[in-house]
Amino acid sequence: MISCRDVTRRFGEFTAVDRLNLEVAPGAICAFLGPNGAGKSTTVKMLTGLLAPSAGTVTVCGLDVARHALEVKRQIGVLPEDLGLFDDLTVEEHLLLTGDVYGVGRAETRARTAQLLHALSLEHGRHTFAAACSHGMRKKTAFAMALLPNPRVLFLDEPFEAIDPVTSKIMRDLLEEAARHGITVFLTSHILSVVEQIATQLVMIRKGKVVWDSPVGELPQSLEQHYFDLVEAPVVEELEWLGPGRS
Amino acid sequence: MARTRAILKALGTAFRRDWKTVGSIGVNIFFPATLLMLGRAGGFIYLLIGLVMLFPASTDPLRKIPRSRLALWPLDRRDRIALRAASPWLNPVTWILGGLAIWAVRGRLTVGLWGLAAGLVAAGFLLSELLPGGRPFFFRWVPRFPGVAGELARKNIREILSTLDFYVALLLSLTGLFYRLARLNLPPEAYRDLGLLVLLALCTYTQCLFGLDGGGLARYRLLPLRGWQILLAKGAAFLAVLLVLMLPLDPLSGLAGGMVALAMGHSPAVGEPREQARWRFSGGVSLSYGVVQVVAMAAAWGAVAFTGRWLILPCAAVWIASTLWYGRKWEVQPIFP
Repeated sequence: MISCRDVTRRFGEFTAVDRLNLEVAPGAICAFLGPNGAGKSTTVKMLTGLLAPSAGTVTVCGLDVARHALEVKRQIGVLPEDLGLFDDLTVEEHLLLTGDVYGVGRAETRARTAQLLHALSLEHGRHTFAAACSHGMRKKTAFAMALLPNPRVLFLDEPFEAIDPVTSKIMRDLLEEAARHGITVFLTSHILSVVEQIATQLVMIRKGKVVWDSPVGELPQSLEQHYFDLVEAPVVEELEWLGPGRS
Repeated sequence: MARTRAILKALGTAFRRDWKTVGSIGVNIFFPATLLMLGRAGGFIYLLIGLVMLFPASTDPLRKIPRSRLALWPLDRRDRIALRAASPWLNPVTWILGGLAIWAVRGRLTVGLWGLAAGLVAAGFLLSELLPGGRPFFFRWVPRFPGVAGELARKNIREILSTLDFYVALLLSLTGLFYRLARLNLPPEAYRDLGLLVLLALCTYTQCLFGLDGGGLARYRLLPLRGWQILLAKGAAFLAVLLVLMLPLDPLSGLAGGMVALAMGHSPAVGEPREQARWRFSGGVSLSYGVVQVVAMAAAWGAVAFTGRWLILPCAAVWIASTLWYGRKWEVQPIFP
């Protein structure tokens, strides 16, 4: 469903993503892990057509993203890194816009909007302008926009960050249900405990290069330990001034 | 007091940065154009501009500090009173109002006009606290447009309503409406000329069509829409606002001028997109480009007003051709360089 062949992205002298090769099967939940600045968001942007690769090919739903950008956009739902919301539209208007643009009928859009607002506990804020929403509300709105057109592939850039535990659980359940119905999910996250629960495929990236790609069951140790070993080990600095009585 | 001083210093820096956005007035063609056209006779227009600017520029500087942050800082009662008393003086409008008060006392300004200015400043100061997310209540009255990009057009109208250009144009339009309703004997040319002023007030916005989209710019790229559809939603919103303002004046000539202004504005709006601050005048790409745009726009306006109404058709054709051309350009332009 998602395929990358030697995908590279350079920004001047800096190589953000270096010869990335990746295959994600239909109905899989692929977690793409790595530290800040490793190239995760750049990869998501290339997979969703927001950014052209410097080299290599990206295929989504059997379509070359560079050559069939519009057709690919019709097949995918995206929660982008910056959420991509318009300050001058309310939560509900964002969902109605999505229905119109993706060709979902008005009545069906209204029905799906009501369901999504209810499922994500957004009903009370449906008439709030995005500019006045909390970060959590904005993230839930962007998530609902990704789901509403019933896409074949979902791309989610850090969906579980900065949201409450109940919403996180609801989102996890929705994603697992989507995957059971054959929707492919590609997500990035820093919350390894959540990833461990829902992912079926794990890909780890460090300095733009893939350092691990396997089904979740093939991990030789806990995800956290494997991540520390392969990607980045935590460094603890002692702050000698921290504590009562220390200056 | 050291804490208050430190906070005031930081606040002053933040407020100065925000005030720089007022500089967009320097690249708004309305001011030099009216100055050139009307000279000293344009006193009424300049007064309108001054009053319209006064209101949003009167925000409370203390609002720059999030309420929760202010509450968390270890400030005692004296610190807080000092901060409250000193912070309004970080806003140059407070000093201007003080200067105007001295003028009023010396009789160089009527007390009534000073009172109006002071009222606007007070309203701007108080209302800046009350607008949630900076969106006034009447934004909800904007209707949805038909078509797949109907919600986008609604959003675009709200963006236009967030610029000061609109409010100057509205006051000019209301002046025309007042004369119509009062049945005062104004010659037809007067309404036409007022219409041209409305056009001039609005046209700079067409050079920064994407200036208020903020984080939504990435969303445009994710939606399965063609570039021309996005530009059409922008253009339709602009023309709808223009039509409403032109109804008491000269709608057809106004629309013709508006279409040509949009066609000319596409180049900088797509090729050199820049951020636009809310509640400020739109800033164009340059005054020289603004002059070219005004000449083309006024030519279209004049052609329809003085030659024949059918000339609106070539103006529409130019706008549609420009929408298609720059729509294509918008699609291939990278947003993450």
